[in-house]
Amino acid sequence: MLREITIGQYYPVSSLIHRLDPRVKLIGCLVYLVSLFLFDSFAGLLVAMCFLGGVIILSKVSLRYILKGLRPILFLLLLTVIFNFFLTPGETLVRWWIFRITKEGLYRGAFVGARLIFLILGSSLLTFTTTPMQLTEGLERLMYPLTFIKVPVHDLATMMSIALRFIPILIEETDRIMKAQQARGADFETGGLIKRAKAMVPIFVPLILAAFRRAFDLALAMEARCYNGGKGRTKMHPLTFHARDYVAFLYLALYLATVIILRRWL
Amino acid sequence: MGIITTENLIHEYIRRDENGDRIGEKRAVDDVCLDVERGQFISILGHNGSGKSTLAKHINALLLPTDGRVVVLGMDTKDEDRLFDIRKAAGMVFQNPDNQIIATVVEDDVAFGPENLGVPPKEIEKRVEECLKAVGMYERKDDSPNRLSGGQKQRIAVAGIMAMKPDCIILDEPTAMLDPDGRKEVLATVRRLNQEEHITVLLITHYMNEVTFSDRVIVMDHGKIAMQGTPREIFRRVSELTALGLDAPQATVLAYRLRQKGFPLPEDILTEEEFIKAYHELPEEYRVSNPYDLLPKKVQESVTLLSEHEAPLIELKDVTYRYGTGTVYEKVALKNVSMQIRKGEFVCLIGRTGSGKSTLIRMLNGLEKPSEGQVLYKGEDINAASYNRKELRSHVGLVFQYPEDQLFEATVLKDVCFGPKNQGLSGEEQLARAREALELVQVDEDIWNDSPLSLSGGQKRRVAIAGVMAMHPEVLILDEPTAGLDPHGRDEILSAIAQIRERAGITVVLVSHSMEDVANFANWIHVMDRGSLLYAGKPEVVFTHTEELKRVGLDVPQITKIMRGIFHPQEKPSMDFITIEAAEKALLSGKE
Repeated sequence: MLREITIGQYYPVSSLIHRLDPRVKLIGCLVYLVSLFLFDSFAGLLVAMCFLGGVIILSKVSLRYILKGLRPILFLLLLTVIFNFFLTPGETLVRWWIFRITKEGLYRGAFVGARLIFLILGSSLLTFTTTPMQLTEGLERLMYPLTFIKVPVHDLATMMSIALRFIPILIEETDRIMKAQQARGADFETGGLIKRAKAMVPIFVPLILAAFRRAFDLALAMEARCYNGGKGRTKMHPLTFHARDYVAFLYLALYLATVIILRRWL
Repeated sequence: MGIITTENLIHEYIRRDENGDRIGEKRAVDDVCLDVERGQFISILGHNGSGKSTLAKHINALLLPTDGRVVVLGMDTKDEDRLFDIRKAAGMVFQNPDNQIIATVVEDDVAFGPENLGVPPKEIEKRVEECLKAVGMYERKDDSPNRLSGGQKQRIAVAGIMAMKPDCIILDEPTAMLDPDGRKEVLATVRRLNQEEHITVLLITHYMNEVTFSDRVIVMDHGKIAMQGTPREIFRRVSELTALGLDAPQATVLAYRLRQKGFPLPEDILTEEEFIKAYHELPEEYRVSNPYDLLPKKVQESVTLLSEHEAPLIELKDVTYRYGTGTVYEKVALKNVSMQIRKGEFVCLIGRTGSGKSTLIRMLNGLEKPSEGQVLYKGEDINAASYNRKELRSHVGLVFQYPEDQLFEATVLKDVCFGPKNQGLSGEEQLARAREALELVQVDEDIWNDSPLSLSGGQKRRVAIAGVMAMHPEVLILDEPTAGLDPHGRDEILSAIAQIRERAGITVVLVSHSMEDVANFANWIHVMDRGSLLYAGKPEVVFTHTEELKRVGLDVPQITKIMRGIFHPQEKPSMDFITIEAAEKALLSGKE
């Protein structure tokens, strides 16, 4: 049950997009998300769709798998669209009791819905094609300038990657402790809010104790392997831009230019 | 002078009360002088709390001496400027395979050490490849550590240390949390590194059979070196070892016992081959005619002696269990398993990791539901809609693996009350139940009001078992209750369980990896393999299937191998000799 949760669902195939430097993908994703909010016409969305479509084809991630990612937000999506249908003032098309659908409403609903879908698809494509580890590394490098204003970027990145390593372990541990307490007659399913919250104590106390124990062990193991913060550290695969990354930047610039032109003159 | 020396090393832990004030100290390492030559394989033995881990942590400067000196490759560990040189020279592998892997990809984890040392990228790449090949894990370099077995994770940890190019590797109980397969893997790897790459190895363990090939064995007790010498010199002192909470290989013990009866056997027998050879060299008058010939030709496998006419207490009918149905992770954990457990039996469940044992026992008290098939308790289907599963859980008590992890209350007594409280008993009754259960598992009354956290590993485990016993179960199920304990702790737990069974008159189901434990305690065993039930029967009968058991990654007790090796029964015997006592009796028959 708990074991089936996956985080940052990486889609393991080999494609051009997968091989791109994570920094390119992070910047690209940011540019794309901002661009969605710059458009206010369907022509703009069409450009965004072409761009996204191109990336999806290059990424070799199956379209069905990508669309599956929309399922959790389906409710939110429907709600947004329906609200826009009914609540936008303008020329009335259909009227029934106190509800009315306007022409502007239809347009708005479709537009906002499409924008939301593109938003989710774009950002999930980033996690589909980039491992959490690469993401962390990309972020660490992109945020490097922040070290000058005393932000501990390296430490934050290390914390993040350790968290990624231990989340599945802690989930399994939660499952085990829950079952163990259930075997001693604990009941997590019935009773009011307070009773249920109280029933969580026998899970959380052991879980926190175990987490501390692990943290202590891990710190010792890191020390034994000469970890000393980011100072003087090298990388086995340091991030370097290849020709494909520069080409990707070129395309990204082209896209950004189109977006700006569209917004200004159309 | 060797590459590691300690001179009169003393280490004291400072004990503090709740306010952080110093109330005394505990001497963990007491006046230890050690001299390790380059290229040696040294084993350090000792029960839990004998100071062996504390000693190990001094060698790579994770701890500093209270008094005395530790010198690694000519560097004093107190010299802070040489800290990283020392840690690089003497790498350390720890006990828990999960808690020492830092990265989410195998290859990145091996690179962690050299990255910290500032090794150039090309060189790191080369080292990672070499080291992963040296531990036989190169094919898994892109995998996530979460998908590896315990033994594989430990090999990754060894590779991670190797990548720092150390002169010496210290392994702090690297096999304590592994199954027998994992143990073999890790030991074979370490041994190969010692022999082929000439790495000095310091292996800390409490399993005697892991140290038979070392150059020198050091036995620690109360922070001091109690014995020191070659494995042969150490193991002949069987009675001293037992007194120190350790145990010798079965071959050594059997030879020792026979020697006590006047058999002229050599004193330094360590392995079954050596015993067999020595036995054949005995004078004629000490040898017996083949005891396998005296065994009955046929034993009925299908019934138990205890209660053959009674209906089974628990019955599984054609149980199949799948999880992750409909996803790529779909797995069949149990396939058409049918089994019966009768009242009053001591049942053992054996099988390698992943054979479905843990899933199966969760079926027995309704924590997991079968995908197909039925689980019956006293003839009733426990997964029927109307069945009271909460009540069932107080009849069928389940003690998980590492049960001490579930302790959460402020005192031992309160924690044991948790089960009875959930049963809805009054405060008085809860306390009465808790007291009775703690007495049953022999937890000293002095510590009933202590925090469970302050107890030793073996004590914690007994408290956890008491927590289940306080619910007055009719069946007690235990998932590897001896995992991670030293031989003394293991014997204590097992005899406590045997006593509980006798005194409370309950049925016990025990999941175990140790064939010796199973042989000593069970009167019925079930063998699992890849989700199916392979054998069910009396241990002395099941252990006749030597070859088949080996094929599914299990084994037979060492004593069985010795008896087979000596007497080579013509056809497959109907029963086998599975305990030291049985073998001793057979070898002594008519010789006293």
